[in-house]
Amino acid sequence: MFRGAIAIFWRDLLVLRRSLLSELLAVIAYPLTLYLAFGIGLRGYIADVDGVPYALFIAPGLISMTAVSAAFNDSAWSVWFHRRVQRTIEEYRVTPITVYDIVIGKIFSGFAQGTIKGFAVALVIFILTPFRFPPAHLLAYLPFIFLGSMIFSCVGTICGTMIDKPENIGRVEAVVIVPLIFMSGIFFPLSSYPKEAFAVISLFPTTAIFEGARQALLNGRVAQLSVGILLATAVIAFAASALTFNRKMSE
Amino acid sequence: MTYALEIDGLSKVYGTMRAVDTFSLRVQRGTIFGLLGPNGAGKTTLIRMLTTLLRPSAGSARIEGHDILSSARTVRSMIGVVPQDNNLDRYLTCRENLVLHARMYAMASAEYNRRIDELLELIGLTNRQHDFPDTFSGGMQRRLVVARALVHQPRILFLDEPTTGLDPQSRRAVWNYVQSLTPQMTIFLTTHYMDEADTLCDRIVIMDHGRALVDGTAAELKERLAHAHMYELEFSSDGERYEKLLRELPFVRNLQRTGNSFRLALTGEEFLKPLMDRIGGDDIRKICLKEPSLEDVFIELTGKEVRE
Repeated sequence: MFRGAIAIFWRDLLVLRRSLLSELLAVIAYPLTLYLAFGIGLRGYIADVDGVPYALFIAPGLISMTAVSAAFNDSAWSVWFHRRVQRTIEEYRVTPITVYDIVIGKIFSGFAQGTIKGFAVALVIFILTPFRFPPAHLLAYLPFIFLGSMIFSCVGTICGTMIDKPENIGRVEAVVIVPLIFMSGIFFPLSSYPKEAFAVISLFPTTAIFEGARQALLNGRVAQLSVGILLATAVIAFAASALTFNRKMSE
Repeated sequence: MTYALEIDGLSKVYGTMRAVDTFSLRVQRGTIFGLLGPNGAGKTTLIRMLTTLLRPSAGSARIEGHDILSSARTVRSMIGVVPQDNNLDRYLTCRENLVLHARMYAMASAEYNRRIDELLELIGLTNRQHDFPDTFSGGMQRRLVVARALVHQPRILFLDEPTTGLDPQSRRAVWNYVQSLTPQMTIFLTTHYMDEADTLCDRIVIMDHGRALVDGTAAELKERLAHAHMYELEFSSDGERYEKLLRELPFVRNLQRTGNSFRLALTGEEFLKPLMDRIGGDDIRKICLKEPSLEDVFIELTGKEVRE
């Protein structure tokens, strides 16, 4: 059971292992730049948020942002590339594995990439700054990086399945993914929003990821409502990606 | 009679277009079967249905007795597929491509490593097994695609235009390899190359507009045109003028021109004299009767207009 998913996951990890160093360098550069620009550049203007130093306030969000962006990008581009360019998905489909094996394998690859890259950013932030999270807080953080990467991997799989023109994947990222991430309180507290906007934004799964991550890493608290929202979103996203992929393959 | 493949009234309809139209066929085990047809004839659509990639609109088909719809996974475990494009994974080495395929079939590592070693030896890529496919020539990539389809030792191998774009040496290498696979394996081959079908196939079907037009051995198909009186004519000059003249003659068919040389069929032997009367003897350098080739049969049945 799931031998196809495992085989595809094995393939993706093999490819990742070959290019891990260059991938990590590329993926760390962006959040690190944001961290230095906002965390250090604005330090003189924003001393702290609710008693938390600003550089520390944004760190959990940046780690999580790296993870979910990597999960989205890997899944979207991988599915698109294997479907449209290499046509290897067609090769997978003439073997006895199922369409679900392919989609599960790709989702787990995206999820693994997100998690590895998120932890790499965390490691760099820890090395470069004096901030330290107690190890127990990292345990509380695991559900958020896992579920967040899983959800974005599913969303990436849907995009890579539905979208034929590569530039449209970039457009979806610019119009949907980036606003979702940046509006969900990575750089500022959600209490900054007007009341009506706060009610809507607090329901975003990205808000659950970033707020949950902050609560977990800074206070060691698992926000159960956030985990609930993420679990429900992950189930829906997985079902939607499996359904979308299955339908596309039967066209 | 033992059949590797049985097709009954298989159809695929896209809107108003019937890509495959009530196609029926039986292919005997251990033989090489060739499916010929111009672009858009429905060959690839038929292969995609048989390999479970595409759902038929109507009809049924069985591979080694297993229905392609109700037992799709079993069917896929019994077939090997070489598609038109070299859909190799360019981020995996030659050997890793084969290993990934073996893992899809849940083969044990000892089993697949032995099999992969054999195949690499057979296709002459042992020394390049740790290189990436992008560094290979077209012929080497094609051989690798064929080897990949054979890792799990399928009962039926589907080859969709396996030698398109290859140089003559690589084509012959693929031919020899394909021939060596029978009679343990049944081969289902589509091709544009008449010499390929003539050399390899035990039985040929020519299809067009989704339907089978003729069915038989290469010799039987050529025999169908034995009455067709194929001639080769060569003029010393004025090829254009003679083409115009020949096209106007109602008893001339399948006219093909290369410079001042023509290949044509007459609708009856009695038209040879009227032909000679019309063209005169001044510019004729050569006229001879030709044995019909498989290509003549193909052109006769499917026409000579270029298809998109």
